[in-house]
Amino acid sequence: MQAGALGGMFHSGAASAAESSSSEAAGAAVSGGAGGGAAWGSGSGGGSGSSMAAAAGPAAPPTCLPPPPPLARAPAPRPPSPRSRESRAAISAPGGGGHRTGRGLPPPLLTAFPRPALLSCPAMLSRLVLRAAPAALRALPPPVAVGVMHTTRPLHTTQQSLAPLPPLPEKGGEVRHGLIPEEFFQFLYPKTGVTGPYMLGTGLLLYFLSKEIYVVNHETAAAACILTVIIYGIKKFGGNVAAFADRLNEEKLAAVSALKNESIQALQTAIEEEKKEQWRVEGRTYLFDAKRNNIAMLLETNYRERLLMVYNEVKKRLDYQVAMQTLKRQKEQEHMIQWVEKNVVQSITPQQQKESIAKCILDLKALSKSVHAAV
Amino acid sequence: MNLSFFDQFSSPSMLGIPLILISMAFPALLLPSPDNRWITNRLSTIQLWFVNFITKQLLTPLNKEGHKWALILTSLMVFLLLINLLGLLPYTFTPTTQLSMSLALAFPLWLATLLTGLRNQPSASLGHLLPEGTPTLLIPALVMIETTSLLIRPFALGVRLTANLTAGHLLIQLISTATMALFPTMPAVSLLTLLILLLLTILEVAVAMIQAYVFVLLLSLYLQENI
Repeated sequence: MQAGALGGMFHSGAASAAESSSSEAAGAAVSGGAGGGAAWGSGSGGGSGSSMAAAAGPAAPPTCLPPPPPLARAPAPRPPSPRSRESRAAISAPGGGGHRTGRGLPPPLLTAFPRPALLSCPAMLSRLVLRAAPAALRALPPPVAVGVMHTTRPLHTTQQSLAPLPPLPEKGGEVRHGLIPEEFFQFLYPKTGVTGPYMLGTGLLLYFLSKEIYVVNHETAAAACILTVIIYGIKKFGGNVAAFADRLNEEKLAAVSALKNESIQALQTAIEEEKKEQWRVEGRTYLFDAKRNNIAMLLETNYRERLLMVYNEVKKRLDYQVAMQTLKRQKEQEHMIQWVEKNVVQSITPQQQKESIAKCILDLKALSKSVHAAV
Repeated sequence: MNLSFFDQFSSPSMLGIPLILISMAFPALLLPSPDNRWITNRLSTIQLWFVNFITKQLLTPLNKEGHKWALILTSLMVFLLLINLLGLLPYTFTPTTQLSMSLALAFPLWLATLLTGLRNQPSASLGHLLPEGTPTLLIPALVMIETTSLLIRPFALGVRLTANLTAGHLLIQLISTATMALFPTMPAVSLLTLLILLLLTILEVAVAMIQAYVFVLLLSLYLQENI
């Protein structure tokens, strides 16, 4: 019974949910039933389903519609073949509970139609009530339906949405003389024309007065005064009060609109800023190229400077060596010359000195002779 | 039907069923019920603005504890206002002309303020019985006088409301009776009386509003002292 009921739940629930406008509640019920039905249905076979259907047939209440045969889960538009008809007859006959004929006509309609189950097996009462609520309510007399509505409110399948509310009409109902709706005049217009309601009013008033249904007493004077005050007040301040109320509403709207507009404005400004930033980003490549060039030049310059420095240092060191050598040679030369001179001077013995001097004197004499001769 | 002068003050009943409850509950029907809407029609907007106005006025002097009284004070104000103003229409019954109702409103509320004060700050609340800076000789007399004035507050509240409204209604009735009585014989004087009646009506409208305001204001003052 469980399998059959779940199977029926799964199938009819799927079919009805497709066409009805039920909400997640029914959908959850259907999906829960579908999950359960699928699990059960795939687990059991046709035979076990039939045996369970047979076992539960007599036990079900008379208003229970019999569960559809397990073959109903098969794809619906299948022409009834003889073999399937036989099998269906074999299954449906014991499980029919007297509902079907012994010939076991195939029930092709059961596969596709939604099940209008008013009351079903008690195991799945809540879900079926959920689905069957509108039809059931229509069947009840109105006062009972109202009571049922109230008590079953948590079982509603449609979503009670509070938003969006229908907008208020722009103007209130048209009223003539501040009291009588315009519809009354329109109502009387076809029969009595434009003056009809006024005639009616005057006639009624005079009737009440003349028949003393309304007695003119001191309250009439008081009524006249208070009505004068009221009408004067309304005429004088009515427009102002209405404008004040409208202003209050508009201020409310304006505050919120201002908020909205400000945030829109802020976002637009942000968009423009972003666009500017994007434009700036485009220019950044040139900036980076220039910077890269700069850096390359700096590096090159630095490199060259260092190269120069190295060269200079090396040259200095080499110059130093050269200078050292030159100095050394010079010193050696000088030293040599001095030594030679010293030695020469030392080597000049007195004998040599006398000889040289004598030679010089002879030379000089010779010279002087030559000069004397020349002259 | 012929009315005597005091028919308007008798508690209304129809076929033995007292109608005073209906007459007290009726003003609430005139107020629009709060709606889901954010922007409402003019009447709801004005009502909301008015209630906010009253609440702000009444509750600004009170401290945070006193704000618990916001609902009762505001609703009392609106209730009395509507009842008083509706009573000015012809053939209407004003429940506040009944001393029973005024005292029934004044007594418990005053007592509540007194007991709040005695419970939360007993010495301060008793200290109100002696104004500061009184000469020592006068203290006993002054304490007795202040106690009397304290105990007479609820009566004052209730009777003030009832007396003002009753007197006003009675005056309106008398002068309108005079107008009607003079009308056949001396229409000119009758018109003069009618003019007086008109002015009186304007006064009564003002009195109706002021009495409601004074009632609630005094209650809030008593509350301020004690809370």
